Amino acid sequence: MAGNLWEVPANFPHVDPENVAAAQQGDALALDRLLDELAPYVRRLCARIAPAAADDATQEALLAVFRGLPSLRAPEAIMTWVRSVTVRTAIRLARQQDLEVAADETMTDRSASSPEKLVDIDDVLARLPVSQRVVLVLRVREGLSEQETATTLGIPAGTVKSRLNRARAAFREAWES
Amino acid sequence: MTYPATSSGIDPVDRLAILAAALPGAAVAQRRIAAPFDAVWRVIADLEHATPRYEPGVVRVRVTEQHGELLRLLVQDTAGREHAMDARLRPGWCLMQSATVVTAFAARRLGSQTLLAHLEHERPQTPVPRRSQPHDRGAALAKIDQELRTIERLAVQNRH
Repeated sequence: MAGNLWEVPANFPHVDPENVAAAQQGDALALDRLLDELAPYVRRLCARIAPAAADDATQEALLAVFRGLPSLRAPEAIMTWVRSVTVRTAIRLARQQDLEVAADETMTDRSASSPEKLVDIDDVLARLPVSQRVVLVLRVREGLSEQETATTLGIPAGTVKSRLNRARAAFREAWES
Repeated sequence: MTYPATSSGIDPVDRLAILAAALPGAAVAQRRIAAPFDAVWRVIADLEHATPRYEPGVVRVRVTEQHGELLRLLVQDTAGREHAMDARLRPGWCLMQSATVVTAFAARRLGSQTLLAHLEHERPQTPVPRRSQPHDRGAALAKIDQELRTIERLAVQNRH
């Protein structure tokens, strides 16, 4: 049901600060454990923002996170940083995927996304434009405040608010169609 | 030391690439091994007997502790020195680390064959990590390639 959309899940996974510090120093076993801690969260975000490219987005986001980890200056803020890196990566891959789908649709009909096949919220979210989908995912599914959403996306809070209004309207329209 | 009970769900070879991204200067290579996954992994997991056969710098390996996936090893090098290593071992994933080196294997099933990836990394001993020079890197990759070929030979023998 549409009501499930407004449930707020637990936000960040638990990450051991001592393990993060060891990982930043190149301790491979600490890196291995950090990967176990981060991967489910990164995968969840990618699956919601870039559902058609979730595996690629997850791998690219984790590569970017681990590449940047040694130089992360505020390890206590690691999850905020991981979220930003993941969201940016997922948006980029979602837009690429949308372009590819748009190109394909010039040659094929759109029966695969007909309304009767929309069975749950994620299907409806996947039909929204990336810019609207991502604010709904962060604000509603991930439970971020407007300011946190704005910081993560690097846009003003007012833009988040207006995008969110448009996204909610588009979601309702898609859900009821 | 505790680890999450659930796996991250990431393919081991992809996981190795992510690990390497956080270890500047790490050398990684992979080889399609003409033997099934189980035969290849029997070689990798047999740390005490197989490691000295493919790793030229190692004479002896002894597993001193094991708690699930986590192991403690005592490794003797060709100069007779002993090094303590911590390791994490499960099917498709083997990560070993001493105070000075990291080495890892990751395997993916490819039908009746196996994709085996191998990482070697010298841990920086100074605050500023030293990037490996091109000739160091070439030598490290050649060593890894040789080790992968030896592992393939052992795995093919193991298949029967």
